[in-house]
Amino acid sequence: MDGENSLSVIKLKNILLVTVPDDPGDDIIHELQTKVLHAIEKYQSKGLILDISSVNILDSFFARTISETTQMVALMGGKTVIAGMQPSVAITATELGLHLGKAISTLDVDRALDIFTDNFKLV
Amino acid sequence: MANQEAGENPIKSEGDIVTCRKLIRNAAVAAGFGMTDVTRIVTAVSELARNVYVHSGSDGVMRWEILHQPGQIGIHLEFEDYGKGIPDVDQAMEVGFTTAGTMGMGLSGVKRLMDDINIKSEVGVGTTITVEKWGRAK
Amino acid sequence: MNHSHSNSKYISNFNSWAEQKRFVNFTDEDAALLQKLHPFAVDYADVFVEKLYEHLQKFPDTKRFLGDEKMLMRLKLAQKAYFMDLTSGDYGEGYFKSRIKVGIAHQRIGLPPRIYMSTYCYYMQLMIPQIYSNPTFDVETANGIFSALHKIINLDQELAISAYIHATDEVISRQTEEILEMSTPVIQIWEGVVAAPIIGMLDSGRTQQFMERLLETIVQTNSPVALIDITGVPQIDTATAQHLIDTINAVKLLGSQVIITGVRPVIAQTLVHLGIDLSGIITRPTMALGLKVALDKLSIKVVDVSKE
Repeated sequence: MDGENSLSVIKLKNILLVTVPDDPGDDIIHELQTKVLHAIEKYQSKGLILDISSVNILDSFFARTISETTQMVALMGGKTVIAGMQPSVAITATELGLHLGKAISTLDVDRALDIFTDNFKLV
Repeated sequence: MANQEAGENPIKSEGDIVTCRKLIRNAAVAAGFGMTDVTRIVTAVSELARNVYVHSGSDGVMRWEILHQPGQIGIHLEFEDYGKGIPDVDQAMEVGFTTAGTMGMGLSGVKRLMDDINIKSEVGVGTTITVEKWGRAK
Repeated sequence: MNHSHSNSKYISNFNSWAEQKRFVNFTDEDAALLQKLHPFAVDYADVFVEKLYEHLQKFPDTKRFLGDEKMLMRLKLAQKAYFMDLTSGDYGEGYFKSRIKVGIAHQRIGLPPRIYMSTYCYYMQLMIPQIYSNPTFDVETANGIFSALHKIINLDQELAISAYIHATDEVISRQTEEILEMSTPVIQIWEGVVAAPIIGMLDSGRTQQFMERLLETIVQTNSPVALIDITGVPQIDTATAQHLIDTINAVKLLGSQVIITGVRPVIAQTLVHLGIDLSGIITRPTMALGLKVALDKLSIKVVDVSKE
């Protein structure tokens, strides 16, 4: 597996840090959902941080998967936080009319960690 | 090496969607589009290529060309499939219309990202969707 | 690939030029007549160009565009080719494009249209005797050539002047854009807070540009709060409101939050009357009050030390 173009799921204490490559294909997006749900079950995580700071394209398929995964993670008792969306991606998503469901956004992974460690200021 | 200014790519598998995106990203960046416009164009490509792959039930092709006019750069994209066709093009352009379980922004969303969209479709023959995007030349 | 160039972004397209040809009554016969003149025009080209530049050198106004010896040589060659094209008999797309290019090039170097026009006048003065004194042309042919030449020059000038105007329009629109950009600054006013006062109406072109700069500044400064001040927005309509809502949604996707400030009574009235729902968004009448909310959110307390 080449590190550049693959998904990484890392357990950090009681949460998961999921890093998405810059141009994820449909296979990676499918894999994202399955891997995340299995990891949540395995580690009994409180939730996940989806680091999309490298991602330079978010289309309706990817957005739908994020929204659905957020719902599934919620059913398993976890919270989904999206970190580091690029400005051009956010603008395009808004114009396209995409919604990320109940997922919370943060500017970067540090701020996402704050949400899980309770000393966050903004929700 | 001179930048390529036109070309085509088949859409036969899921993997071709990413290939189309990469191809157009490189072309749009080389042509001098700004970051946000590149993202708009590539996102439209992703939606339209997936549209061919998922909805048409057949193979298809993407053709592209970089356009130049005084002070402006443009990109012209054409997605052709030989699939089942769209019975009601106007309806397909409405916000929220969906047939195959997508989120329903489909073509109306693509229209917002691009400057121009044209759909020619015949039931049982196929569909050709063309889009254009213009930006200020650097 | 068939793509329409019906884009309004172009000066005048090739189709509209065909229309213009019909308008001045330029026919295939005219093209054929001009071709008859062509061999003589070619023979005469060097003499003509020398005479023309001798003439242009006499006026300080035109002399300054001619440059040094090397530049002058290049200009003469280009001029020669340009006038030889005039009688080539082929007035298709290649001809059309070359004429537009000349107009744009002249605008770029700041050559006034009157010099361009006068050059044609001078050309005619030299060419008319060439036509009428030519033993191979009878009077009828000479008259026909004269008329055809007159038409093609008129067509040329129309193209070049349109290109001039278009190029000038581009400069104006670029400057307008720069002014707009300056009129909507995005500034970091506190650690974690950016502010963007909007002056004037928000149309879709301006929103796109504003959105880009706002989002980029938010990311660069890592700011969880953005104040958008609309004190300077004279009136709000559904389109402007929609642009604001789009911007707020895009900011939210980044993980930052918008506070709308400068909501004056008249704006509040309009928003309610138009049925625009901003209930999910924090709004305040002044930027000062908005900043207070922002600092609260960041758990920052500002105290007046004199009262401590």
